Amino acid sequence: MHEMSYAEAILENLLNLAEKNNAREIKKAHLVIGELLLINPEQLEFCFRAISRETIAENCTLEIEFVKPEIRCVKCGKEFDAPAGVCECGGFVSVNGGKEMILKSVIMEVD
Amino acid sequence: MHKIEIDAEIDLLSENRRLAAENRKFLREQGIVAVNIMGAIGSGKTLFIEKTVEALRDIRIGVILGDVICRADYERVAAHDVVAEPVNTGKECHLDAHLIHHRIRKFEDVDLLLIENVGNLICPVDFDLGEDFRVVMVSVTEGDDVVEKHPEIFRLADVIIINKVALAEFVEADVDKMEKDARNLNPEARIIRMDLKKDIGFEEWIEFLRGVLNVSGNSG
Ligand SMILES: Nc1nc2c(ncn2[C@@H]2O[C@H](COP(=O)(O)OP(=O)(O)OP(=O)(O)O)[C@@H](O)[C@H]2O)c(=O)[nH]1
Ligand SMILES: [Zn+2]
Ligand SMILES: [Zn+2]
Ligand SMILES: [Zn+2]
Repeated sequence: MHEMSYAEAILENLLNLAEKNNAREIKKAHLVIGELLLINPEQLEFCFRAISRETIAENCTLEIEFVKPEIRCVKCGKEFDAPAGVCECGGFVSVNGGKEMILKSVIMEVD
Repeated sequence: MHKIEIDAEIDLLSENRRLAAENRKFLREQGIVAVNIMGAIGSGKTLFIEKTVEALRDIRIGVILGDVICRADYERVAAHDVVAEPVNTGKECHLDAHLIHHRIRKFEDVDLLLIENVGNLICPVDFDLGEDFRVVMVSVTEGDDVVEKHPEIFRLADVIIINKVALAEFVEADVDKMEKDARNLNPEARIIRMDLKKDIGFEEWIEFLRGVLNVSGNSG
């Protein structure tokens, strides 16, 4: 359950941004998350709800966009869904990306 | 009141990376080689650390022991007369660079810092601590499909240890399969078949460690 760590990072960054912009309320956060981080969105949401209570982010919607890693055989170029095993051609399967966690944009209520 | 939309573009993982880089810098400056030992619950990490400490009596060793709540592992290791420090993660199931950052100064006089991560094959994967080497320890009693079920941690390891191999026949685990799965995911890793109770493979680990300690000693 590493979702709590990520929920904390999201909340901290949201509150910082809100302070910089003199916001009263944080409405929506758009997140881009790499699939290989193995984040369970329900758990992330649950953790975020728990720690954002009584902050200006307590009603903030998390909008999560998952991005796929690029997993392909370095020899024949065949693509895979998961980083498992070698390719049937014997080539090594390389993995690129899929581990990002970006806070893309935030909608806030300001005076 | 009105709504505004802000283009944030904030990398939420950068804080851990920044702290890991600071840890790494400190370790380099002090000439300390740090090893992050990850693996499932009960795979043998603490026993492995205890034996490593005993086998390398000629060098100064520090140990950080991550546990969700108790101090049992810390007490086991501290009894071996090394600089040791428990880290309770509380709700977390992994160590992160921040937790290490707070404790690292205690180890400035050691040559080797062993860090036992929380027993878990998933969560520690994405948290760089600033270590030089990542060791993943699994045991045959976890089932011979444990490697293929957790590709990420094996893909990113420097050393993969398959422990308790002397028990393989009793639990009907296919060690060749485990090794092959590990090799497929990570052609570069050093893979060691081990049994800590029967003293299989342990010497190979100590040789590996002596090798990396010398290298880091020479290059400062
Ligand atoms: N038969 C056998 N038992 C082993 C071996 N290595 C460790 N054990 C036993 O496995 C149990 C768990 O070992 P630990 O060293 O506590 O495992 P750990 O990975 O530190 O466990 P956690 O800290 O709880 O995640 C202990 O009873 C060890 O004595 C081995 O090679 N063979
Ligand atoms: Zn976890
Ligand atoms: Zn191929
Ligand atoms: Zn342990």
